[in-house]
Amino acid sequence: MSRYRELLGVAFAGLAARKSRTLLIMLGPTLGVAAIIAAVGLTDSAKGDLKLKLRELGTDLIVAEASSSFGTDTPKMPADAVPRALSVPTVDRVAAVSELSGVVVTPYAEAASVYETVPIPVLAADSQLPSVLDVTMVTGRWLNEFDQQELARSAVIGQGLAEEIDMLPGESRSIDVGGKAYAVVGILERVELDPALNNAVFITFGSAEEDFNDEDQEPNKLYVRADPGTERDTSAILPIAITLGGSTEVAAKIPTDLLAAQSETDTTLQFIVAGMGLLALVVGAVGIANVMSISVIQRSSEIGIRRALGHSRSTVGLQFLLEALGVGILGGLLGVVVGLAAMWAGTNLADWVFVLQPWLPWAGLVGAILVSMLAGIVPALKAARLEPLETLRLG
Amino acid sequence: MSPVQGQPLLELDRVSRAYGEEVVVYALREVSLTIRAGDFMAIIGPSGSGKSTMLGLLGVLDLPSDGVIRIDGVDVGSLDDAGRSKMRGESIGFVFQQFHLIPHLSAQGNVETALLYRNLSRKERTDRARAALDRVGLGARAGHRPVQMSGGEQQRVAIARAIVTDPLLILADEPTGALDTTNAANVMEIFESLRSPERAIVMVTHDLAVADHAERRVSMLDGQIVADEIRLPA
Ligand SMILES: Nc1ncnc2c1ncn2[C@@H]1O[C@H](COP(=O)(O)OP(=O)(O)O)[C@@H](O)[C@H]1O
Ligand SMILES: [Mg+2]
Repeated sequence: MSRYRELLGVAFAGLAARKSRTLLIMLGPTLGVAAIIAAVGLTDSAKGDLKLKLRELGTDLIVAEASSSFGTDTPKMPADAVPRALSVPTVDRVAAVSELSGVVVTPYAEAASVYETVPIPVLAADSQLPSVLDVTMVTGRWLNEFDQQELARSAVIGQGLAEEIDMLPGESRSIDVGGKAYAVVGILERVELDPALNNAVFITFGSAEEDFNDEDQEPNKLYVRADPGTERDTSAILPIAITLGGSTEVAAKIPTDLLAAQSETDTTLQFIVAGMGLLALVVGAVGIANVMSISVIQRSSEIGIRRALGHSRSTVGLQFLLEALGVGILGGLLGVVVGLAAMWAGTNLADWVFVLQPWLPWAGLVGAILVSMLAGIVPALKAARLEPLETLRLG
Repeated sequence: MSPVQGQPLLELDRVSRAYGEEVVVYALREVSLTIRAGDFMAIIGPSGSGKSTMLGLLGVLDLPSDGVIRIDGVDVGSLDDAGRSKMRGESIGFVFQQFHLIPHLSAQGNVETALLYRNLSRKERTDRARAALDRVGLGARAGHRPVQMSGGEQQRVAIARAIVTDPLLILADEPTGALDTTNAANVMEIFESLRSPERAIVMVTHDLAVADHAERRVSMLDGQIVADEIRLPA
């Protein structure tokens, strides 16, 4: 092992002794890696805002909705849709809502006619909804088990509705839901993935059944969080698991799909620019091979004396290969720094969100090292094959 | 185990070295020679007589076309490149007319180069190289690079590099060929001081003043040894 440590020291001294030459041949890997990082990074960052939003929202939310081909009444799911959904092994959490038809909300008595023509949706919701949607309360609290069991007339309103009716945080108000006065106990934060919820009024399933429906209030919509990475399969299985061959039809979709499609990087452009970076890397490698081959000839006296001192062919060859490796490492590192700086400047100028795939700098560094090592093979072989007798110029 | 005086260190047994494929030229022809511990030898001869060829073979930098070379009893022809390299590193110290110091290394670094890849600690390398430089009177110049030193000083660094491994055989090729008389005398003085019953010193030279320092003189002509004399000290 000490042999390799000593070899590293010898190779490094060789590079350090010819600083301008070393810097010159570092240019190839540096420019190549910088171009690749800037190309991939900037094309990614061009859609950075959308990517960032997608990352925040996560892609694991599935919305399963009852649908009906007859479509007169609001279609409903079976009453035990939630346990059925939870029976799917890749399902993590489930929340159910049920839209109440024909219930009119009147925030102001004066504007009753307006709210009759453009009704505010009223949803029965279970206690899991904020957690599954991953949203918090702007103020107050969400509906709890007490509200559900005691049939307390508690309501939560969406952030959009709260703004519309000028409800202030901390203010206590009641709201007329189908002629019953409900106390507003909280305001739910805006839900990016289902904007319809922003203007809704939420009450418990218990209150919905008690005040507006004689039968069971069956859910018509489930919000489901799947285990990460399983959302595709889960959304395919969910409708079957919920209907279990019954007459109801259920459709499941992933609301982030559109956003995901929009945030896709323009890979054609990315390939073209990254390809140019790769070309720079290859041209740089040819430069390394050339300059180092000349260097081997210039250093033939050094090679001869090393052989006379007992360094074997393979040791001398390895010494030059390690010099190439050093050029690859230093050039690659510098390339990563320059590439990131270019990305930083580019995203700032274009006002994009800086998006860096974590593997990208590593890929650049590894690429520079591999290409430089390949470039070092020819000069290393030349150095190893030099005949000491011919380079030592005996008298 | 260190050798005792008179013990054969290096033997050439009917060694030939031929060059060329169609027109074969014999640079050495059936040469036999035994170099013994304690020898202080000069190999002399006119240009083209085969001295350089002999040096290459003695230094295991070359292989014979015919015949056997044994160093410390080992047939050099049976070794691969790694084995011959190890043999050079451990048994032979070279001093060349052109010094052949590595320009980007200090005197210390040049001497330490002879100690690389032998499982020595850094401290051991440093200490031994420093001791060798002290031995040639250049301890104070350890940090200097070759361009900062005179030819005589460079050759003394090369001598330090040759002795730092404590070799059986020191092979010198026209060691004073590139030096003025003062420096040449100084270098010869150092060679005298390196004489030991446990090692051999062989100088290849056409300079009779250099050869006069040696105790044993081997004369070559047309690829053969024509005289091998022991000379009494003057
Ligand atoms: N590489 C070689 N190829 C062909 N002939 C060579 C080679 N090296 C030496 N010779 C020949 O071998 C003979 C001895 O050369 P050399 O050993 O250099 O003698 P010296 O060092 O005494 O001048 C000369 O005739 C020379 O031309
Ligand atoms: Mg010659």
